[in-house]
Order: sequence, then C-alpha cells, then structure tokens
Amino acid sequence: MSPLPSDDEQGLSPELEERLRRQLDRVQPLHTSPRYATVRKRAIALRLAPAAIAVTLLSLLALSAYAETGSPNPVVWSQRVVTVVAPPKASPTPTQVPPASHHESPTARPSKAPEHPESPQPSERPEPTESPEPRESPEPSESPEAGSESSGGSTSDSGGDGRS
Amino acid sequence: MPESYQPGSREDFDRLYRVAYPRVYRTVAAILADPAAAEDCTQDAFTQAFQAWDRWRPDAPAEAWVHRIAVNRAISHRRSARLRGVGEVLRRLGRPGHAPDPADAVVQPDLLKALRAIPPRLAAAIVLRHYHGYNNREIAAALGVSERTVGTRLRKAADLLRSELEPSFSLEVVEAFPSEPDESFAQR
Repeated sequence: MSPLPSDDEQGLSPELEERLRRQLDRVQPLHTSPRYATVRKRAIALRLAPAAIAVTLLSLLALSAYAETGSPNPVVWSQRVVTVVAPPKASPTPTQVPPASHHESPTARPSKAPEHPESPQPSERPEPTESPEPRESPEPSESPEAGSESSGGSTSDSGGDGRS
Repeated sequence: MPESYQPGSREDFDRLYRVAYPRVYRTVAAILADPAAAEDCTQDAFTQAFQAWDRWRPDAPAEAWVHRIAVNRAISHRRSARLRGVGEVLRRLGRPGHAPDPADAVVQPDLLKALRAIPPRLAAAIVLRHYHGYNNREIAAALGVSERTVGTRLRKAADLLRSELEPSFSLEVVEAFPSEPDESFAQR
C-alpha cells in the first residue's frame, strides 16, 4: 500500500490522464489472430526435419547400393564396398610382379603361401581381383617369351615353310 | 490483474492472449507510431512468451511479464527504425524532401504523438500507470527495474510530456476563449 500515495504524486494530471485514456481507447488492434499457434506447428516441423532428412538420405543410399549390387542384402553391399576399395592397394603389387616374376617368382610363391592359412578370406579376395590384372601382366611378360613362342610359331611357319 | 494462470497450460495462455493482447498492443502503440509495427512487436512478444510459457513463474503477473517482453521489443524496433531513418536522411541529402502531410497532424492525437517523442521506457511507464492502472510494483515487474526507478521515470516522463504538450495547451486556451475574433482567425 505504500507505493500508491507516491504514485498519485508522480504521474499526470487528471485531465491528461483522461485524454490519454480517450486516445488510447481509440487505438484498436489490427489483427488479433494469435501468431504463436502457427509458430508451435513450425517448431514441431523443425524438430522432425533432421530425422526426415536422415531417413531420406539413408533410403537414397540404400537405393543406390541396391542399384549398384543388384542385391537387397546389406552384407553384399559391404562386400562390394570392400572389393571396390581394396584394388587400389592390391594393384601396385601386380605391376611390380612382372619384373619380380623373372627373378623372384619361385621365392614369392612360398612367401604368400604362409599368409593363406592365417587369413583365408582377405587373401582369397585379392586373388579374384588380381585375376584380371595378371591377364594384363602376362602380355608384357609373355612378350619376351612370346618371341620364343613366335619363334616357335615362326618355326612352325618355317616348319610349314620347310614342310612346304 | 487478479487473473491466475498455470505455467505451461495451453488454455491458460489462450486466455492470457485474449485478455492481455489489446492492452499490450495499446502500450506498444503508445511507443511506436506505426500500427503494423506495433502489431508485429506485440505478436512477437506473445510468441516469445508462449515458447517460454513452461518456464514462467507466477511470482509476477503474467500480463506484466508479457508487457516486459513487448516493451523491450518495441524499444529495439524503435532503435532500428531510428537508424533506418538516419540512413534515409543521408540518402536524401541534396534532394528536395517530402513536405509533411498536414492530414497526419490532424489525425494523430497530440498526446500519443508526445508519448512517442519521449524515451520509450518513460512512455511505457506512463501508459502502464495511467492507462492500465498498474501500481509501482507491477510497473517494476513489467519493466524489469526497481520501484524507486519507476518513481523516477514517472516523474521524468510527466515533465517531458508537459513540455511536449505546452504548445497545444496554449492553442487550446486560445480556442476556448474565442472572444477576440482576429486572434482566433490568426491562429487558424
């Protein structure tokens, strides 16, 4: 109750107060539909947005993996990823193999042989991936030998010639 | 101000909106000249209050709490509007300016014009005290200041308003006593 007497001393005169009432009573809100109700809905949508984005990304990834591998099994997708990622590591060795194959081909085979029992699966997987590349490697390696074969062919030709 | 509300209750907030929206709007309209800006600030204040409605503590009246948010919004809006106005003046330097519309002076009530000319915290204190009937404690809660500061602001606001309204007072005196036709014609 103590502030009230001092309130009366502090403010406007009664005439001014009456004018203020009249003028502010004339001020009417333009639009009274609550805006906070729509904000609530937006807030819920914003909360769900990260989950929706994550689900969309996952489904896109699954679809692309399915299209790539042709299998709906995620294990196959992971195997495919391993086979796609692994060859760059394995590819330098076959390029070095042809020069080494001339000198160390007998020793290299025994060194690989002990690895097979320790890790059967990883050692088996590079072999099919390397299988296309050795197809390339025999060509340069065969080129010196092909000379002998071609010489053999030539011999056969010459033989043919000789026969003829 | 005897309304009681439960924090977090949607129905209570709707009730608070229905009761307090026109009152808060009028307070903001006494600070801002633009009705659309006043509505924006009031709606934003209710939105902010709604988002914090779970955390509201009924140690202060809910309407005073919303008033506090709305007045702060109006103050920041007025500050940015003033900065925009300075930029506009700088842009128009050297060009022929627009003359003020005489119709505005007729339509705009003089007391509201004077309220918008004084600092917004002082204008808010005047409206809360003399229009909404808040006491000093409620004004202190609404403006986030001490009761002593409220008293100081009210005195200062009343002084500033009187000085703003002095020309119109003299005009009213002349119009109230039209015994001297020449002088009244000269005023008109």
